[in-house]
Amino acid sequence: MILLETHNVVLRDTLTKRFSSTQADPLDITFVDFDGVTYHLHTPTDDFHQLQLSVRWACFPQLLAYGAEALLQQQYKPFLSTTPEQGWHVTFDIDPRTIEGSKGEDVIRRFSLLKRNLMAAPFEHAFALHQQGDNGQSILTVPYREEESIFIRPQSDRVTVIFSTTFKDETDRIFGKVFLQEFVDARRQPAIQNAPQVLYSNKEPPLEIRHLPNLASGDTIGYVTFVLFPRHFETDEAREKTIDQIQMFRDYLHYHIKCSKAYMHTRMRARVSDFLKVINRAKPARETGERKTIHGRTFTPV
Amino acid sequence: MTANSRWRNTVQQQQQQSNTLRPYLAAVRSTLTAALCLENFSSQVVERHNKPEVESGSSKEVLLNPVCISRNENERVLIEPSINSVRVSIRVKQADEIEAILCHKFTGFLTQRAEHFVILRRKPVEGYSISFLITNFHTQQMFKHKLVDFIIQFMEEVDKEISEMKLSLNVRARTVAESFLLQVGRQCTDVSIGNATNFLFFYCCYG
Amino acid sequence: MTNLPPVVIDNGTGYTKMGFAGNSDPQFIFPTVIATRETAAGGSTRSLASQSSGIGGTSSHLASKRGAEDLDFYIGHEAIRHSKSYALNYPIRHGQIENWDHMERLWEQSIFKYLRCEPEDHYFLLTEPPLNAPENRENTAEIFFETFNIPGMYIAVQAVLALAASWVSGKVSERTLTGTVIDSGDGVTHVIPVADGYVIGSSIKHIPIAGRDITQFVQQLLRDRNESAIPPEDSLEVAKRIKESYSYVCHDIVKEFRKYDQDPSLFRKYEGIHSVTQRPYEVDVGYERFLAPEIFFNPEIASSDFLTPLPDVVDQVIQSSPIDTRRGLYKNIVLSGGSTMFKDFGKRLHRDIKRTVDARLRRSEELSGGRLKSTPMEVNVISHKKQRYAVWFGGSLLASTNEFYSYCHTKAEYEEYGPSIARHNRVFNTIE
Repeated sequence: MILLETHNVVLRDTLTKRFSSTQADPLDITFVDFDGVTYHLHTPTDDFHQLQLSVRWACFPQLLAYGAEALLQQQYKPFLSTTPEQGWHVTFDIDPRTIEGSKGEDVIRRFSLLKRNLMAAPFEHAFALHQQGDNGQSILTVPYREEESIFIRPQSDRVTVIFSTTFKDETDRIFGKVFLQEFVDARRQPAIQNAPQVLYSNKEPPLEIRHLPNLASGDTIGYVTFVLFPRHFETDEAREKTIDQIQMFRDYLHYHIKCSKAYMHTRMRARVSDFLKVINRAKPARETGERKTIHGRTFTPV
Repeated sequence: MTANSRWRNTVQQQQQQSNTLRPYLAAVRSTLTAALCLENFSSQVVERHNKPEVESGSSKEVLLNPVCISRNENERVLIEPSINSVRVSIRVKQADEIEAILCHKFTGFLTQRAEHFVILRRKPVEGYSISFLITNFHTQQMFKHKLVDFIIQFMEEVDKEISEMKLSLNVRARTVAESFLLQVGRQCTDVSIGNATNFLFFYCCYG
Repeated sequence: MTNLPPVVIDNGTGYTKMGFAGNSDPQFIFPTVIATRETAAGGSTRSLASQSSGIGGTSSHLASKRGAEDLDFYIGHEAIRHSKSYALNYPIRHGQIENWDHMERLWEQSIFKYLRCEPEDHYFLLTEPPLNAPENRENTAEIFFETFNIPGMYIAVQAVLALAASWVSGKVSERTLTGTVIDSGDGVTHVIPVADGYVIGSSIKHIPIAGRDITQFVQQLLRDRNESAIPPEDSLEVAKRIKESYSYVCHDIVKEFRKYDQDPSLFRKYEGIHSVTQRPYEVDVGYERFLAPEIFFNPEIASSDFLTPLPDVVDQVIQSSPIDTRRGLYKNIVLSGGSTMFKDFGKRLHRDIKRTVDARLRRSEELSGGRLKSTPMEVNVISHKKQRYAVWFGGSLLASTNEFYSYCHTKAEYEEYGPSIARHNRVFNTIE
C-alpha cells in the first residue's frame, strides 16, 4: 500500500452492515480518522434502525467559515440534523429503511468520505476565490491538527497550498527532510512534470505566509508548499483528484516515514542475525553428549 | 542530486577508500591479535573479585597503553588492552546527519541485543559509536582468531549497511514522492503516457 | 489531540482484534496473517529464529532490495483473498510473536489502513500471553516507540483482561483480579490462575483441545456417517457452521442419546450452497449437536493422547496454586474466547467442578472422623455477553478509565531508559 485511502473503513463497514441487514441491534461506537477527527455512531432511541452519526474536529469552525456549511447542505442535506449532539460539531440522522436499496451504496460512500469532503471545503473555497480574481489578499488558515496548519492562498494565476508539519522525533525530522527533498526533485521526471511544484523549507515559514501571526518556527517544524496551477483544478475530475491527494499529504508523509523506519528495522534484524552467526563461529562446537540410536538406546561414540 | 548520481558518488568514494581500507583493517587485525593475550587475573583491590581491569582501572600497573588506529578524522578504532581484558571501540563513519542517525539507530539496535553478542558492551566509550569488551573468559571459551574475524567483519559490514540503508531511504523517498505527485499530475491532459506506465505499475500494485 | 481514545490491539494466534477503547466490540477482527511477495527462499525479512540460509546470499539480497517493495503486502481477510499470488505468513505462533518483521508490517497496515489513526496521537494497549518473555515486550516497545512514535503504551496479560471483562456480568459481586481464566480460542485452551492481577505461572495448564479440534471432530462425524451431499472442499467450512449454529453442551450424554432416539424433532437440517456449482444441498445434523463440545468433558471420544476432562484440569490447576488463593480461584472461574460460547458450557463446567470439590471436602470430613467441618467451597463459573472477545473487551474497559494513562509507559520514559521499561507493567488494581 503506497497511497493511503481517503475513505473511513470503520464507517464504511459499519454502515454497509446496517444497510444490508434487516434486523437491528443497539449500537454505540466511537472511532477516529486521521488528524484528530472523531466520529460517534450510535442508535439514540429504542428504534435501533435509526442511526445517528456525529463528528468532532478541532478545526471545524474554520471549515465552516470556508464554506463547509454549503458543502454539507449539498452532499448530506437529507441527513443533516438541525441541532448537533451535545459536545459534537455536526450530526447526521441516517435511517437505512428510508433509503432505497440502490441508493444505499451511494450514501455509504458519501459518509465514508465525510472527512475528505469537509476538508475539501476550504480548497473549493480557494478555487472559487481564484476564479473571482482574488490576488493573494486572503489566506485561508485551517489548523487541522493541534500544532499543524494548512494555509491556502488563492492568486490570480495559481493557488498556493502550504502545510506546516512537525516532527516529534529526531529520526523523523531527518527522514522527513530526505522525503521532502525528493518531493521537490521529483518533478524533473518527465512523467510528473504536470504535477504541482513543491517547495519546502524547514525552520522558517515561507514568504507567502511569513506575515501571519503565531507561526511556529524551529528545528522540528517544516513548511511544504504546493503550487497549484489552473490545470490542477479546472476540470472536475482533476479537482477531485487534487483535493484527494493534497489533503492527505501530511498523513502520507508521516506514514511513509514510519514505513521506512519499519523497513530499517527489518534490515537491522537481518543484519543482527548475520552478525550473530559470525560471532557464534567463534564458539567451539559443543560436545553433543549423549546420543541415541534409532531404537531409542543411548550409545557413547568411542 | 538525484539518487542515481548519489549512488555513483558512493561507489567512487568506496573505490577511493578501498585503497586505505585494507591497510586500516590489517592494522586493526594485527593490533587486536597482539592485544588479545589475556590471562586470568584476580582483582588486587577487592578480595575474591575478578573484574575486567580495563573497566575497573583500579590497578594502573596492569593496564597497557591504549592504541588508536585512525583511518581519517571520522573513522578510528581505539584498542585499550589490559592484563585480563581488551576494550575495542569503533567510531563508524558518519558523513552527514542521515548517516549519523542511521548509525545511531543501528548501534542502538545492536546494543539492545547485547546479551546475544557476548562481547558487545552495552554502552560505547565516549566519542565512539560502539564498543566491545573481550575478557580472558571469552578468549578461553572461544577461538581468538574468530573473535578477531568478527570484529573485522563487523567493521566492514557496518559501513556497508549504513550506506545501503541511506541509499534505500533515498530511493524509497523518490518512489514515494513520485507516486504521490503522479496522482495529482495524472489528470492533466498532456501527460506523456509512455513514461507514466512505470509509475502506473506502482500505483496498480500498491494503490 | 489528547482527547482521542486509546487504541486496543489484541493479537492472537488465530485472529487479531483491534479497535478504540470505550467501545464494547472490536472494530476489526481479522486473521493474524500477512501475505507477502517473498519467495520461500527467504528474502531479507526473516525472523532471527527462522533464519537458516547462508550469509553469502544475504548481502547480495539486501543490496538488491530497494524502493518500496516491502509495502507490497496484504493483511487479514485481504491477505487470504490474495493467497494465490502472495505467500501467506502467520507471524504469531502459540500466542507468541515469532516473526517481528511481519508483525511490524502487520501493525503498520492495521493502523494506517484500517484504524486510520496517526499513532503519534493515541496511547496503545497491547496484549501478551501469560509467561511471555520480557524480550518480546522489549521488542514490542521498540517497534511502537521507535517506528510509530506513540506517546505511551501498556502491555496487559490476556488472562487479566479476561478477568476484567467479566465485571460486566451480573453475577460478579466485587471487582477483583483474582480468578481462574479458561481461555479457549482456535488453537489451544489455557487454564490460567490469576491472583491480584498476577498470573501464577507455575500452575498454568494447556489443553490441546480447542475450536479447531471440535470442528475436525464434527467433520469426522459427518464423514463417518457418510453425509455424501457435502462437497469435499467445503466439508471443513460446513462442519464449522454446524458447530457454531447448532451445538450445545448436554447434561448427560447417555440420556441425551436416548432423548434424540425418542424425539426426532431434535434433529436439524443444515442447508448449504455448493461453492462452485451454486447448487443447494442439505445435511442432517444429529448427535454432533451435543457431541461436539462434549470433547472438553470426555476427551476420549475424539482423541487418544489427551484424556483429562476440562473440569479436572481446572481443579488440578487450582489445587496446585498457593493455598491462600484457592478459594478466590474457585469463586471466580471466568470463561473467555469463542470456544467457550456453547450453550450451557458454563453450567456443565460448574456442575462437574463442584462435584469434584464437594467430594474432596466430604472425604476429608470422613477421614477426620467428623471432627473437622470445613466451610463449603464456593464455586462460580462466570459467563457473560462479552465472552467471545473478552480479552479485547477487558482491554477496552481498562483503557477507557482515567487511571489508564498513569499506568502507561510514556515516550519520555522510553527515551530516558530504553526498551527495558516494558519489562514491567504495573498491575491495575484500584479501578472502580
